[in-house]
This record gives sequence, C-alpha cells and structure tokens, in this order.
Amino acid sequence: MNFSLTYLELAVVALALGLLLLELWTPTALKPKLGYVAAAGLALILGWSFADTIPSESATAFSQMYVRDGLALFFKRFFLMAAILVLIMSVEFSDRIRMGVGEFYVLILFALTGMMFASSANDLIMVFVSLELITISFYVLVSFQRSRMGSLEAGVKYLIMGALSSAFLIFGIALVFGSAGTTNFDGLLQVTKGAADDKVLWLGLLLVLAGLGFKIAAFPFQMWAPDVYQGAPTPVTAFLAVGSKAAGIVLLLRVFLGAVPPVTGQWTKLLMVMAAITILYGNLCAIPQRNLKRLLGYSSIANAGYLLLGLSVLNASGCSAMLYYLAGYLFTLAAAFTVICLVARESDDISSLAGLSQRSPLLAACLTLAMVSLGGIPPLAGFFGKFLLLKSIIEQGPVNPGYYCLAGTALFGVVVSLYYYFGVIRAIYLSKEAPDLTPITVSVPARLSLGVCVIGMFYLGLFPQTALLVAQEAVSALKF
Amino acid sequence: MNALDYFFYLFAGLTLLCGLMVVVNPFSRNPVTSAMFLVLMMVSLSGLYVTLHAFFLAAVQILVYAGAVMVLFLFVIMLLDLKEEEHRKIKLATLFLGALSVGSIAFILVKLLGNARLVSDAPSAEGSTIELGLKLFRQYTLPFEIVSLLLLVAMMGAILLSKKEIK
Repeated sequence: MNFSLTYLELAVVALALGLLLLELWTPTALKPKLGYVAAAGLALILGWSFADTIPSESATAFSQMYVRDGLALFFKRFFLMAAILVLIMSVEFSDRIRMGVGEFYVLILFALTGMMFASSANDLIMVFVSLELITISFYVLVSFQRSRMGSLEAGVKYLIMGALSSAFLIFGIALVFGSAGTTNFDGLLQVTKGAADDKVLWLGLLLVLAGLGFKIAAFPFQMWAPDVYQGAPTPVTAFLAVGSKAAGIVLLLRVFLGAVPPVTGQWTKLLMVMAAITILYGNLCAIPQRNLKRLLGYSSIANAGYLLLGLSVLNASGCSAMLYYLAGYLFTLAAAFTVICLVARESDDISSLAGLSQRSPLLAACLTLAMVSLGGIPPLAGFFGKFLLLKSIIEQGPVNPGYYCLAGTALFGVVVSLYYYFGVIRAIYLSKEAPDLTPITVSVPARLSLGVCVIGMFYLGLFPQTALLVAQEAVSALKF
Repeated sequence: MNALDYFFYLFAGLTLLCGLMVVVNPFSRNPVTSAMFLVLMMVSLSGLYVTLHAFFLAAVQILVYAGAVMVLFLFVIMLLDLKEEEHRKIKLATLFLGALSVGSIAFILVKLLGNARLVSDAPSAEGSTIELGLKLFRQYTLPFEIVSLLLLVAMMGAILLSKKEIK
C-alpha cells in the first residue's frame, strides 16, 4: 500500500485543516485575507506537482482504488489552477459574505480535494465518494449568502437535484456490481471484454451516465444549471462551471473509456444525440437571457455539449481535444467571472456592464477577450479548442456519416453563440445610458489572476503545440 | 425447540405487538406514544437479527433507527401541532378501504407462503462484524477516509447554514 502517491491530495487536506484552525485565531478584519493564504498554499502545491515527471506507467494504491497516471496528473493541475483563480475571486467577493468567510475558503479547498480524488478514481466506490465530497461542499457553498433569497433558492434546487443525481449514480453502481461482480475499473474492463451486451450492466451504466450527466449539465439533465448558476455566489458559480464540470468529464473518461470501452463502443449514437441536443439547447436558450450569470449558465450547458463531442468519437484525438478545450475554458471562464465579481455588485443584469469601458478599461478588455474566446474566434484559446473537437469528429465522418450531421449542428451552435456573446460586448462598449461612471479599482492579486487568464487564453490560442502535446500524453493513459 | 427458538418467538411476538400498538393503540392516541412503541419495535427487530447471527446489523439497527431516526421523528412530531389528530373520527369508508387493502395483501402473503419451500439449513450469515471491519480497513481504506472528510464538511455546513448571524 503506497499511500505516498496521494501526496497532492494530502497536502490540500492539510492546507484546508490548517486554514480551519488558523481562522480561529485570526481577527475578523483580517479573515478575508485568508483567501490569499489558501491561494498561495495551492500555488506551492501546484509547483510541487511539476517537480515530478508525468509517469509513463500508471501506479495504483489502496488495493487499486486509486490510480496515478498522466490523466490524473493533468486534471489535478487543472483543478489546482481553477481553485487558485476562484480563491482570488472569493477574496474580492468577501465583502458580500456576511459571516464565515474563513469557512468559505475551507469549503472550496474540500471541494478541490474531492475533485482531485475524482481524477484518480479507479473504482466506482471512489467515484461515488469523491463526487459526494464535491457535491456536499457545493450544497453549502451555493447557499452561503443566506440573507439573499436567490442564493437560498439556488441552494435548495441544487440540493434536490444533487440528491437525485446521487440516487441515479448509486443505483447504477449497484446494478453494475450486481451484474459484473466488481466495482473496480480493471475488473470491469476484463468483464466487459468478455460480455459487452449484458442488459443489466447496460442499465447500470446508463444510470451512471445519468448521474455524471447531472454533474456536467448535459441534456436531459441540464435543467438545474441556469437557476443555480444565477443564484449562487459568483466565485461558487465559477467553480461549479469549471471544477465540477471538469470532475464530471474526467469521471466520464475514466468510466466510459477506461473501464467499459466495449460497452461505450455500442453507445456512440446515444452520445452523439446527447451532444447535439445539449449544444442546441444551451445555445438557443441563451439568446433571450438578460442576466449575465444565467447567460453563462446556458453557455456552460452548450460547452458541455462541445465536450461530449470529444467523448462521442471514442478515440485519442477526441479526448486530447477535450482536455485542450477544458484548459482554454478554465482561463476564459475565470476571466469572465472575475470581471463579473468586480463589476456586478448590485445586480447581475447585462445592463450593469454599461460604461465599463470608461470605468475600467482593463476589466472591459478582459471580459471582451473572454467573450471572444467563448465565441470561438481566433487567435484565442476557445477557437483552437473548438477547431480540434470539430476536426476529431469530421475525421470520423467516413466511418459513420452521422458525425457530419453532428459537426454541422456544432457549427450552427457556434454561429448562434456569437450573437449572445457579442451582445455582452455591445453592452460594454456601445450602451448609451451609463448611470454610474465611478472608476473601479482592481486589487493587485485580482490583476495578477486576470493577467494569468489572459496570458493563458493567448498562449493556448497562439502556441497550441505544447499544450496539445501535454493533452495527448495525458490521454495516452487511457490506452485506446 | 432449543433456546434460540424461544428467543425467536419472543422477539417476533414483541415486534408484532409493538408494531400493532404503533397504529392501533386502544389506550392512547398520542403520537408520541406511537413513536415510542416504534422504538420498541425497532429494538425487538434488532433482537431478531441477533438470533440470525447478524450482530453488526443488529447494532446498526439500534444506533441508526432506534437512535438517530427516531429522535428526528420525535422532533418533527413535537414541532408540529397534532392536537387535532387526537380528536379525529374514523370514517366508515376509510375503515372499509383500509381493511380491503390489508386483506388483499394478507391474501397474497398467505398464498405465497403456502407455495414457498423452506430450506432447512439456511446459509451461514455473511457480513459479520469482523469481515466487515477487515474489508473496510483494508480494501476500502481510502473511500472510508474520504467519508471522514465528507462528514466534516457536512458538519461545517450544518453549523454555517443554521447559525444565528452575529451582527
């Protein structure tokens, strides 16, 4: 039993518990600054993760519950980066949290722990436990602003939908265990190689797909996303949109491409239909939205659809495109939500962006870049991610003509999305009536995190080779 | 009949009696009394588990059901005002429908039991406390430890979301 493999998770847990204690002895006025302590600690852990090379062979620990390979390491760095950006955002947000600021940061760290364990899951039990750790932390985080009705409403909705999705997941796991006799991914691979058409196994895996579908907000499990995104505190929305979704994605990869590929091979049609409807639903419903966070909620549904494109082709190029897309999505969304956090103090309506170009040219530029990247316009990260995903499905076109239809749907979605993303940019630069023109001061850490996001967006868009190589190395752990 | 059989009939009889007292107590219509009889029923049920050698299940039955769940029940009963319930008249139609549904379920049960073949030597009970402990602390150590984090988060969440706001 080599538990030293889990050193990154242990470091995060130690940081979280240390922070919980430190919070006791911190004067109330200084408590918001604890977020910087947490972010700095995570930055150290992120640096530490680069100290060791990507393992070529996967190593398992805890009787094959936990696996450490390239894919796990990629996602661990991804989650650490996301949590650092979210923590800096939370410090900017802390004046709107009445009490328990310290616990707010600690809960973010615990959710991060769950995500990191999820990226290393090699057993359905681990999938369930790590997802529960993420979800329960989010129940509390979403309803953290108890004095705001919206936050409470979002909390209740997330609690009910989260419990429902957990029920789906655990019922599915029980059926899989009942028919395959094991919950371990290596064992499941052996079983499904022998008999991939056991109907009980299929039903179980379908329910697991439903449970994970809730987490990434894919059709038909997307209905909670807009309401919860709108009501939750802004940093929590950002972490839900990036972290929770990526955790769902890594688990989809682990279960459906790592453990039961023979079954998934017969499900391509299902995945294609799911991807297409998710893209259409997200993009078409986003058009009439006037609330920024709700708009980004629908946009995140559409993005779940784009990510599913990469899953539906079931090959290495599709999966590396997914990882690349997620990396771009992280920087883009973090930039967008940091700006929303700083600007939209009273309401999240798009009209609150009026006059932003005069109030703070820096924030206006960052939000514009984020919207352009989300829309998929070169030379930013979003463009290259979408390009890679489309390329991977069009390459599969000769095998199954359905992929051409899927590519057409995705392109249509991209065109539609340009309309509402540019609506946001129009509000920044062209709206006539600006009620409030007081300049917005941006703190140094917030500037830094925005800088990192912008550099990330440009770097991924202009020099895709390096990042793509990293993604390909990470995916090679899945053994196609 | 050996000693174990006597215990079986003792606990089975107690379970049935207490179960009946939960719903048709002739002496009192106080919901709290019903809840207390429910506790007694749970305890005698766990006695039945002991006669089946499922010791862990028996312990969990008492800890979780008789302990935690019933406390929750009692809290809910005491928070709701149930005075009206004590004076409610039983309608004839309700009585008839109730008897009908109970009768049909009993009919199915009797029919099924009549056709069932009872195996004389049941397989020895799996899932003893030792086995469970070994599994939990060897194969499932990591999920078990993560659950401890989960409980910490749940505890923090419950305190944070219910605490009075300090001005």
